[in-house]
Amino acid sequence: MNRTSRSMAAFFVPVIGIAAVGHLIGAPGGDLVDSLPLADEPYVLGDPIVAYRSFMMSGGPPPDGIPSIDQPSFVEAHEVDMAPGDMVIGFVHEGESRAYPQSILVYHEIVNDQVGGLNVAVTYCPLTATAQGFLRGEATLGVSGQLLNSNMVMYDRESGSYFSQIAATGLNGTLEGRTLQEVGLIWTTWERWRAVHPDTKVLSDRTGYLRNYARDPYGSYNPPGGYYTENGTIFPLMHQSSEHHLKTMVVGARTSERSVHFILNELASARVLRSPSFVAAYDRDLHTGFVYQVDDASPEVEALDDGNFRVGDGSYAADALPLRQVVAVQAFFFAWHAFYPNSEVARSDA
Amino acid sequence: MRSDRAAEPPPSGTTLASGARDSSSVALSPGALGKLCGILRIPLYGGTFAALSLAYFTLVIVAFGDLSAGGRGFEFVSVPLDRMFDRTGAFTFEPVARLIVPGATLLLSPINLAVVGALSILAGMNLTVAFASLREPRACRISRTGSVLSGFPALLAGGACCAPAILLVLGIQASSLLIGLFRILIPVSFVLLAAALKFALDRTDVEHLRS
Repeated sequence: MNRTSRSMAAFFVPVIGIAAVGHLIGAPGGDLVDSLPLADEPYVLGDPIVAYRSFMMSGGPPPDGIPSIDQPSFVEAHEVDMAPGDMVIGFVHEGESRAYPQSILVYHEIVNDQVGGLNVAVTYCPLTATAQGFLRGEATLGVSGQLLNSNMVMYDRESGSYFSQIAATGLNGTLEGRTLQEVGLIWTTWERWRAVHPDTKVLSDRTGYLRNYARDPYGSYNPPGGYYTENGTIFPLMHQSSEHHLKTMVVGARTSERSVHFILNELASARVLRSPSFVAAYDRDLHTGFVYQVDDASPEVEALDDGNFRVGDGSYAADALPLRQVVAVQAFFFAWHAFYPNSEVARSDA
Repeated sequence: MRSDRAAEPPPSGTTLASGARDSSSVALSPGALGKLCGILRIPLYGGTFAALSLAYFTLVIVAFGDLSAGGRGFEFVSVPLDRMFDRTGAFTFEPVARLIVPGATLLLSPINLAVVGALSILAGMNLTVAFASLREPRACRISRTGSVLSGFPALLAGGACCAPAILLVLGIQASSLLIGLFRILIPVSFVLLAAALKFALDRTDVEHLRS
């Protein structure tokens, strides 16, 4: 090695070395402790788990490279500086209501929280616009850095098992094939959420991490733009359809046997949409839908002028119909179709 | 403007025309590093190097997301220093301080700053030598195309940090291979920039350069 080479090496090797040391730090744990609450019956899947696993790919960041918020703090609604049209993810349990600003979740994707005594993981994938809540027991969920159908793959820090967010199903490890217990979250604007839940607490931007929460790296919801409105995706999909604009928002749901999706704007117009096995009711206060299981013997659901719905002789709010409710998930159309290509399609409830 | 004299090979051991240059150090250091020092001591190229390195540094820090628009008021927040080793990407790391000024937010990640700083120095050297070879072709045995292409590796590192955005703009869907390539762009950029610099310096006669 001549003097020039030695000089250049002495200059650059430390820099690369520092980066390499950091590269080796941080990998998911592997203790086989299963404290995640799991569903008795797994959700229906569009493809075998082995196919999911082989299609899973890195999205770029390493495990926990997108850091979850594990010690969230909250502020009062009047203390936050959000525009009325900014998006939030809402959750209510035992009278406690929480709003998780999309501007914060876009950088963290998971909040391991406790609401009304319930340990819950509030999860959000910006690429698929999916906000989903899962019971977590004493476990915490982290962001694996892997993607499946452009959708976040989470991991259980106790068992090390990976979970697809939309499918809510374990992809590997001891919990492969098991379905997480899901709770309903609301994807809506700050203005709508605050009007319905004026006493809501709001996730503080004092997250323990340093980000520019005023800038969304993907685009904007208020006003809509960037990735969120482009008719394209970044990562490959197992199933594709050109039936709708790829970023059309749908309200989806699934059980152990079937899945369904309703186009949100169609639901907003019709207020009630029905598929062979499901019915959706539109909540005009929150601009979202609630989904229920039905069969041929189920009563008709009729929208009333006051925003409620008639079922039999009674009048009910959209989230309280006397039917078997299933967790509804809002998602970009492309994402729902990629996971559930045989999803039932809705029709107006005549 | 280049004088006719610049086209004539000077006799061995002649000094450079610019009074600001220290020709003795060039004569004493025939290797690539010595040539580099010789070039950077010429005020024109030293200034060019500083300006290009700073511009490249700023662009890559913006591409990394460590410097971005958006911010109200003034605020400085820090977190424990050991956070600096937590990775956010293949070769990007957590910030340990955040400075907000009206209209902009700066995230201070020591390792990102070191990596981007080193890349910027290399890129600045490459671009300066390319500029010199374009300005004084007789001093550099590199074609104009080669000079322009020598700056290409500098673009790679910038692409490493914003792969999704680039793919979306280009309408290219990511594959495992492509994501794998993006993950190694920064070390690849280091190697290519160093190799390109060595290649260019080996073909540069510093004593021909004119400020």
